[in-house]
Amino acid sequence: MVLAAGIVVAGGGAAGLLLTHHSTPAERPDTLVAALPAPTGKIVAPPEPTQVTPVAEPVALTIPAIAVSTQLIHLGLTASGALQVPSTTAVAGWYTGSPRPGSVGPAIIVGHIDSYRGPGIFFRLSLLHPGDRVYVRRADGTLAVFRVTVVQVYLKDHFPTQAVYGPVPDAELRLITCGGAFDPARGSYLSNVVVYATQV
Amino acid sequence: MTIRTITRRTVMLMAVSALCLGGTAAASASAATTSAGTSSARSAAATSDDGWIRLAHLSPNTPAVDVYLYSFGVSTAFQVLRHVSYGTVSAYEPLAAGVYSVAMRAAGAGPTTAAVLSTSVTIQAGHAYTVAGMGPESGLRLAVLDDTLTTPPGQALVRVIQASLQQHSVNVSFGGQVLQNGLLFGEVSSYQAVTPGSEAVVVTDASGGGDANASMSLAAGTVHTLVVLDGAHGLEVVDLVDASGDAADPVGGVSTGFGGTAPHGPPSPLLWLLATATGAALAMAAGLRLRTTRRQTLKRT
Repeated sequence: MVLAAGIVVAGGGAAGLLLTHHSTPAERPDTLVAALPAPTGKIVAPPEPTQVTPVAEPVALTIPAIAVSTQLIHLGLTASGALQVPSTTAVAGWYTGSPRPGSVGPAIIVGHIDSYRGPGIFFRLSLLHPGDRVYVRRADGTLAVFRVTVVQVYLKDHFPTQAVYGPVPDAELRLITCGGAFDPARGSYLSNVVVYATQV
Repeated sequence: MTIRTITRRTVMLMAVSALCLGGTAAASASAATTSAGTSSARSAAATSDDGWIRLAHLSPNTPAVDVYLYSFGVSTAFQVLRHVSYGTVSAYEPLAAGVYSVAMRAAGAGPTTAAVLSTSVTIQAGHAYTVAGMGPESGLRLAVLDDTLTTPPGQALVRVIQASLQQHSVNVSFGGQVLQNGLLFGEVSSYQAVTPGSEAVVVTDASGGGDANASMSLAAGTVHTLVVLDGAHGLEVVDLVDASGDAADPVGGVSTGFGGTAPHGPPSPLLWLLATATGAALAMAAGLRLRTTRRQTLKRT
């Protein structure tokens, strides 16, 4: 009996060794993804210089070119001053310390590239190109439309705080997720992907 | 024609960032030239070499003008703002860093008419400028103002442009904070750091009367320009938001990934080796015991 058990276990061990000795390649976003239709609703123009009325808070984000459609939760800062991240990988969040999308300044929106097991809401963010449209729905039902200007990748150890969070004189967006190489020892990616967009 | 005719945003980035890996480097803005029409179709792709410019007419007794924007040395304007009248300030427009010319002509006068005013502007990447026609008509001039975009942490910045001819000297306060005392017509004050809040802005003339009132919300990290104007019924004050950043800048990058889609090396074989070894040991031990038992059995018979 024990002999039989011993043989089975040893056989299982050997089989396991043979079957799992290969590496898993990176899961790459599918470039051919069916785009979403553009959201409908009243599109609000970029702010005038004498804009007095505050714009409504953002509630949802749609990026048709990469099939992203998500509500926007609120994010703050952690105790150490870093940007909070959504607790689920299926939604994106707006940093409430940044301007509301459609107000002067850089509105910060953040989402996960992946979970432990698979793609997250911003998995395809790095596929965006200059000219792609980003739609932010606000609490009053209006839409602010942004045009992607550039997609950058930065090492987190050399994160350009001024370029990403610094003040600008017009209404802009920063969409941020992780990218670059994944460090298994740290359990995190080494870089951030930042998409810059300007309201149109 | 409204000031929104030049709010055709193309691209911009802030100052060059230290490390940009694999960014999509796109062609720099090329100026399409047009001598007629309002805003040109500047379908420029993003660069990190853009600054911003806005234009203002702040001379109370000067009629409306057409404002022409040229790349320096080019004789055809790439953009024309038509019928810009006193009190008009356009939104910021991004332009690639470089040298430009601004010319103001009487509204409707046509591009070959002698310009009433002209000046050159050097735009640096990441900087913003206001080009304003200022002063009385008899002493009209184009001022190129360097606009600050960044505030001290937790504060707002406010400057005042005095463009009222009726009141030669004005005092400006924001709630209990005095912003300017005795600011003269045509003067642009320096930036004042102001405690953020929602307060009344009060502008009074030298005698303490003739005031203009507006309530203003100053958020931390924002830069404002207040413009004192001659309105239809006396002094008016207009609040321009020049720039806005974050209330507090986050520290460092963002942790937005768990590695589920990252490539994985082969998992550690330890577990499987352990299983194989254990199994082999068990089998050997069992086999030995079987042999011993059988020998004993054989011996007995």
